[in-house]
Amino acid sequence: MHLIRHHLFAFSITILLFLPAIAGAQTWESLTPVQQEALAPLSKEWNTLQTLQKQRLINLAKRYPQLNAVQKQRLHNRLEKWSKLTPEQRNRAREKFQAFSKVPLEKREQVKQMIRQQEAEKLNTPAVDPALTNTP
Amino acid sequence: MKNKELDHENIKQLLNHSVAQLDRPTLTRLRHAREQAMTRYAARSVEPVFARAGHAIWHAFGAQHKSRLWATTLLVAIILFSATAYWNHIAKSDTADVDIAILTGDLPIHFYVD
Repeated sequence: MHLIRHHLFAFSITILLFLPAIAGAQTWESLTPVQQEALAPLSKEWNTLQTLQKQRLINLAKRYPQLNAVQKQRLHNRLEKWSKLTPEQRNRAREKFQAFSKVPLEKREQVKQMIRQQEAEKLNTPAVDPALTNTP
Repeated sequence: MKNKELDHENIKQLLNHSVAQLDRPTLTRLRHAREQAMTRYAARSVEPVFARAGHAIWHAFGAQHKSRLWATTLLVAIILFSATAYWNHIAKSDTADVDIAILTGDLPIHFYVD
């Protein structure tokens, strides 16, 4: 009884110390086929990503089945660049996106049109249908 | 003074001489007691690391039964608090809606990145 009690005590402390590591242990192989398809561009560097980043990407992958073909293509084109940003850059991008979402629709469309034109000029090709823009 | 002159060999001889004078039942009892002590010592030395660690931490909280009860309660509370805080942190940091919008929207990522 004495020994069992000490075992339980030490085991509880071990669990407590390793709780974040146990909860965050997500290898590429442990992902579902849908998650692997959604996050395919990151298959090579997956195991080097931080726990929180992995968790966020897994949450992102849950939305993958609801995306249309163009959105899936954009996601795949942008994922690698997105994962290479620093956490601060990603947070800043989220803040900017949320701020931009609050801008009136008309103004937003003007900005989008302007960006599309700039992108088209960069590529030295005529502006294309926005729905088909796959710029990373 | 006499004690100082006794060396290791003398003590050994003295003990052997004394043992030879003991009767057989006493010798048997002594041997039996020694074997029991050795068995207990061996069992204790193979006590797993986990149990020893637990034992050490357990005693660090004091010998009183009440202190141990408090220690256990405190430990359970810390575990529950850590688990709740961790899952809250994960839930709070769920930025999937914004992330998917950035990654699938019609504006390029660099528009949002400095």
